[in-house]
Amino acid sequence: MSAPTRLRIVRGEVYDPANGVNGEVRDVCIEDGRIVADLPQGAPTLDAAGMVVMPGGVDIHSHIAGSSCNHARRLFPEEHSAEPTMAPRLASGELGARSGTGGTLPSTFTTGYRYAGLGYTTVFDAAVAPVMSRHTHQELEDTPIVDSGFFVLLGNDEYLLRQIDSGERDRARDYAAWVLGATGGYAIKIVNPGGIQAWKSGQRNLTGLDQQLGSSRVTPRAILETLTDAGNALRLPHPVHIHCNNLGVPGNAATTLETMQALDGRRAHFTHLQFHCYGGSPEIGWSSGASRVIEYVNANPMVSADVGQVMFGPVTTVSADGPHEYLLYATSGRKWVNIDVELETGCGILPYEFKERSAVSALQWAIGLELFLLSADPWRVVLSTDHPNGGSFLSYPALIQLLMDRRAREEQLKRVNPALLAGSALADGLAREYTLSEVAIVTRAGPARLLGLRHKGHLGPGADADVTVYVRNHDIAKMFTHPRYVVKGGSLVVEEGQLRRAPAGRRLRLRPEYDDALLPDLRHYFEEYSTVSFENYPVQGITDDPIPIPS
Amino acid sequence: MTDRKVPHVTCLGCGCACDDIILSLCDDRIVHAERACQLGVAWFDDGRVPARVQVGGRDCGLDEALDAGAALLHAARGRALVFLGDDITSEAQRATVEIADHLHAVVDGVVSEPAAAGILAGQRRGRATCTLGEIRNRADLLLFWGTDPDQRYPRYRSRYALYPVAFHLPKGQRGRTVVSVTVGSDKGPAEADLHIALRPEDEVVALSALRAHLQGRELGGLATLSSQLQQLTSLLTKAKYVVIVHDGDGGDERRSPERAEGLITLAQRLNGPTRAALSTLRAGGNRSGAEVVLTWQTGFPFAVDFSRGSPRYRPDRRGTAQLEAGVLAAALVVGEPAGFPASARDRLGRISTVVVGPRASEAPFTAKVAIDTGVAGIHEAGIGYRMDDLPLPLQAALPSPRSATDALRRLADRLVAAEARR
Repeated sequence: MSAPTRLRIVRGEVYDPANGVNGEVRDVCIEDGRIVADLPQGAPTLDAAGMVVMPGGVDIHSHIAGSSCNHARRLFPEEHSAEPTMAPRLASGELGARSGTGGTLPSTFTTGYRYAGLGYTTVFDAAVAPVMSRHTHQELEDTPIVDSGFFVLLGNDEYLLRQIDSGERDRARDYAAWVLGATGGYAIKIVNPGGIQAWKSGQRNLTGLDQQLGSSRVTPRAILETLTDAGNALRLPHPVHIHCNNLGVPGNAATTLETMQALDGRRAHFTHLQFHCYGGSPEIGWSSGASRVIEYVNANPMVSADVGQVMFGPVTTVSADGPHEYLLYATSGRKWVNIDVELETGCGILPYEFKERSAVSALQWAIGLELFLLSADPWRVVLSTDHPNGGSFLSYPALIQLLMDRRAREEQLKRVNPALLAGSALADGLAREYTLSEVAIVTRAGPARLLGLRHKGHLGPGADADVTVYVRNHDIAKMFTHPRYVVKGGSLVVEEGQLRRAPAGRRLRLRPEYDDALLPDLRHYFEEYSTVSFENYPVQGITDDPIPIPS
Repeated sequence: MTDRKVPHVTCLGCGCACDDIILSLCDDRIVHAERACQLGVAWFDDGRVPARVQVGGRDCGLDEALDAGAALLHAARGRALVFLGDDITSEAQRATVEIADHLHAVVDGVVSEPAAAGILAGQRRGRATCTLGEIRNRADLLLFWGTDPDQRYPRYRSRYALYPVAFHLPKGQRGRTVVSVTVGSDKGPAEADLHIALRPEDEVVALSALRAHLQGRELGGLATLSSQLQQLTSLLTKAKYVVIVHDGDGGDERRSPERAEGLITLAQRLNGPTRAALSTLRAGGNRSGAEVVLTWQTGFPFAVDFSRGSPRYRPDRRGTAQLEAGVLAAALVVGEPAGFPASARDRLGRISTVVVGPRASEAPFTAKVAIDTGVAGIHEAGIGYRMDDLPLPLQAALPSPRSATDALRRLADRLVAAEARR
């Protein structure tokens, strides 16, 4: 037995915003991996007096498992050599812990241990090429403790674009459903709609919503509308997850706003928003466009976002956005990987560093904080660093400190290059400090709600028993770096700040229904163009059942 | 007489990993492998494999062999070699790396010297590449550099590179230009539109000259070669999607270790003037899978040394070299044992060697424990990787003598338990 089936976490200060609990001292009861209302007398207890109790963290957007992550791991042996990690010493009787390596993209076992050690118990990989999903499942099986899933890249898929070109939007929807089921994915991801296809075909990129892909009727707008409608028609728990066109380009806030307006009235999630909130223009340079974008988000309840905060230090940029990564290569000359993935998407990888003394890095850092601090609804603007692109997930505690502690923020603001910060709201002074309840929202309750995970991100009866207990500390970064206890699925995985158990996590996936009139045409397409047999494409043997989609 | 047919079978005879093979079976033997090339036919053979379990050359039960193997390996903790051979699934590879981790072993495998040089070059430079389907659907210029894929990758051209009528190339082969650059005595494809023959000593200079052309510069001292290379540059930059094809596992003749780096940078620099990818031909047997698995579990694709309790990258001091130097006390050879380097086989007979894999009992070296398993993709289902790291399902068309994955997991459990008792 790896853990008691019953546990009462007693006298903690509980932050469970989904259930309206804001720091009240109460017990959290766990039975058979679920939260329950109460337990019989005599159940084992865990004393959390004076400590802060929250649901386990939920990461809505990370890159931890998949072929692109693994290509990135392969590219940086020097990072891994610099950070070998011994197998953790688990509790007696807990066997088989694994060693690994760190760096910006740690090995899989190390990734699972580190996420859990930080109090995170659910993680989504945000970009998986469907044809590589079989690989991603293997990596996730080797990423212990956390429950996990992934989003499938569809915004540049040749079959999908062909349906859009011929006006077959219903078939596009059925195809999206089929891909999710065949790959064991959880949500639809769009990266640079149409732009990757343009990059692969010699058109370089698409920069405007109405720019045509080649001579076809396909435009970024048509892709966005088709897939957003598909996701909502299929009642997917998480709406379409959008990485807009023009990532990282000065002036792209206009593209972002135009994209949001194009989807007006539809549920849609905009990811790593910070990278899409730049004012100025390529000719006149950079400025902050955060205020305009966050105002729109605040006013439109169907829109949600994760921030994609930049944290200073070395990072790995790894993205399906091949044309963007190419630009980084062309301007930096650093080592660079580009992989065009057949019929579906692309992949670019490049090392990068965000430096305090770099004016652009400082602006990006400030823009992320502006989004957080000007957000009117923490349930819809949640925390991410787009790990490992804007910063490692290990930097979340430092980010939480920046949100909660104005003084720490201003100290850092004094150190960074101010050249581009004129007119930014952050430089003008933003007094807001996040409360613990707001932190609980942006790191667990909010992401869980946006992902449509009914059993995650809260501590009400029936929820998964994923609980994190922190010791209060005036150093907020320290407080969130070393939780005292972490419970995952009822198993006490971190005890007294030490990783003690490492149970396997579950796969979170969907199998939406579709009209199988799709199949003859799809089979024909595979026979004509794919190098993988139609019958061999779907992933078999995933042990965890798909999550039912409520009708 | 055919009992049954099994369609959509993936072949691991080379790195092409064609997944359209139809096996005809009769009395649990393969009688025909439809669509397979000659390498594939040889790889599938008739599907018969030995089914023995032996300790010290004596037949015994699996549990006894696993107990004996675990004891031998555990006794050599910190001084063991774990060797990843051909023809096991990625699931079995994962279990093998786990064993190496628990044993604090040195991991080596069937990574050829040219392949190792290519991996290291890729780690210095990165690479611009694509999966094979992009070649099929886009490549309008194919530059074969020192290779004729027909020899070692027989269906590469028909399935991926040259003949298919494709998404962006409706004319198929007529829409593609083929260039062959041969070096020394190696052969290129017969139907090349342009053929350039290089002396081995000119190869690296020629690669530099091509990169210089892309920057609008000219290298001196190339004499007659110069105009041909200019012609090639012009073809490359006029194409929409260039694919440079080379053999990452080397042919019969060793080439400059700088070739890989030169080709990598050429393919990268062509992105700008046009789009380009480097396609590195790799051998079969799920070798690519071993590199992929090692990378996600340790951060390194080969030559991983766990002897300090965590992974270290030692491409300069690979496991088989350590074995030959006499510093290792035990070895676990996983997969087809015939692939173990001949130069180090003698040593295996002098230490505690355990073999788990297809034809383990017929290993060309002396082993204390031998456990025969099925062949991945013939008797054992799971996942195998194509040369471009694309994962494919492997089928169990025939009953297996026993599962390699299962045997290795049970061995790992025994080693973990032994370590816990220590």
